[in-house]
Amino acid sequence: MFLQTLITGLSIGGIYALMAVGYSLVFSVLNFSNFAHGAVIMLGAYVGLALATKLSLGFGLVLAGSVAGAGIIAVLNERLAYSVLRRRKAPSLYLMISAMGCSVFLENLVYATIGSRFYAFPEFFGRQVLTLWGSSVSLLDMGAFLFALVSIFALHVFISSTRTGIAIRAGVSDMTMCSLMGVDLNRLIAIVFLLAGGFAGVAGVFLGIKYLVYPTMGWVTNKAYIAAVIGGLGSLPGALAGGLILGVVETFVSSYVSSVLRDVFSFSLLIAFLVLRPNGLMGQDTEEKV
Amino acid sequence: MTQALRVEDLHVHYGTIHAIQGVTFSVDQGEVVSIVGSNGAGKSTIMWSLTGVAERSSGTVEIFGEPLPAKPHDIVNRGVALVPERRRLFSALTVQENLIMGGYRRARDERMEADLERCFQLFPILKQRLKQRAGTLSGGEQQMLAISRALMSDPRILLLDEPSLGLAPIVVDTLMETILRIRSEGMTILLVEQNATQALEISDRGYILEVGRFLKEGPGVALAQDPEVRRAYLGG
Repeated sequence: MFLQTLITGLSIGGIYALMAVGYSLVFSVLNFSNFAHGAVIMLGAYVGLALATKLSLGFGLVLAGSVAGAGIIAVLNERLAYSVLRRRKAPSLYLMISAMGCSVFLENLVYATIGSRFYAFPEFFGRQVLTLWGSSVSLLDMGAFLFALVSIFALHVFISSTRTGIAIRAGVSDMTMCSLMGVDLNRLIAIVFLLAGGFAGVAGVFLGIKYLVYPTMGWVTNKAYIAAVIGGLGSLPGALAGGLILGVVETFVSSYVSSVLRDVFSFSLLIAFLVLRPNGLMGQDTEEKV
Repeated sequence: MTQALRVEDLHVHYGTIHAIQGVTFSVDQGEVVSIVGSNGAGKSTIMWSLTGVAERSSGTVEIFGEPLPAKPHDIVNRGVALVPERRRLFSALTVQENLIMGGYRRARDERMEADLERCFQLFPILKQRLKQRAGTLSGGEQQMLAISRALMSDPRILLLDEPSLGLAPIVVDTLMETILRIRSEGMTILLVEQNATQALEISDRGYILEVGRFLKEGPGVALAQDPEVRRAYLGG
């Protein structure tokens, strides 16, 4: 029972982390909460669903298609709704409001076109279980956890050692100076949204397989915001740690205490972190900006 | 002689503030030209508009005979590098990563390696600090890194905005020597300074800026000794 709960928690936490990474990345570069991230996750899930049911593609292709689809949607979202505000040097509050608008718009667009039905993915993994030390563990849960771990590690390597990755971190540090190094900021920001959207696509497919696909499924990104705050906004290892901690703690609360209290607990954790440790576990101290 | 930079009747507005009210100046290739003036005269605004960060309201700017592009990254690609006021390093990045960013626009080839070596020759201390975060360097070291970062882009003209700000007098002396050394290697330099005497003394020509307009111009040394300029800007 314990191990099973732990693995379930880690798999949910892995999905939270996949969502938190994209949200955190955009936050660190543009300094606003991209509340449309959940809608991108939802659309990524629909893209995956279409590929799986209409074209009967296998899991790998569904995942790749969803990553590409959600990535492109995220870039378009930035181009259409944020770039104009950015160019006018609007306060980040405006960007956040625009993001909320996008989220409502996209959800309702899905309601109006596809409808409010709940869809299930075809069973890619069956109900296979592994038996580990006497407890049965779902293969999907193990897979989701490991995949989240590997892909976030890959992103971390990309951000810390490639030229583009260094440019992204330079942009986080000082956007104007980054452009004076010869970096085309519009391109750099497009890359950031492409990455965030790609991770949203992965999260969307895993969420869809584990639960169902429906227009408001993106609301679960609330948990990703909590995970990002726990880990430290803008920190990738923080987003991973925050996601896993939240997933595991939530699962233990719902199995050992009460499933009704789960969200009460999560949001209390958010408030506790904001009050006691606003920089999160791994966030850097807010540096003084001249 | 070819003109590296030609600015004619430049106007810049910040909202309703008319910060630069029609300045005209030029920098010849291989020259060191300085613009001096008190705090708030608009010196930095000129630098930001030359790099495309501050929008020009009107006027023409030519760089090596061609019109200056609008976007900062296109301007860098024309060979303009800025060492901004207060250095503005990527403080969370290491010294090495700051230098990599400096050379971001270039191919990684032997010429870039050579430029890196040249920076280490100018500032040997940087070589020992490569893995250190830029924010942890001392003020003088940060200025060395800021200059190196700009040089790594292989510029044809170097814009230095208040390089002496916040540095100890002895460090400022070394800095001025370094500027002369970079110049002796053929670099064209536009220097903006509050520290007027030292800036004018190492400059071929200078301009005195007062709230958005040039008050005077002339050879650097002559300006540094001009009684009117001394009274207004050099403390007697």
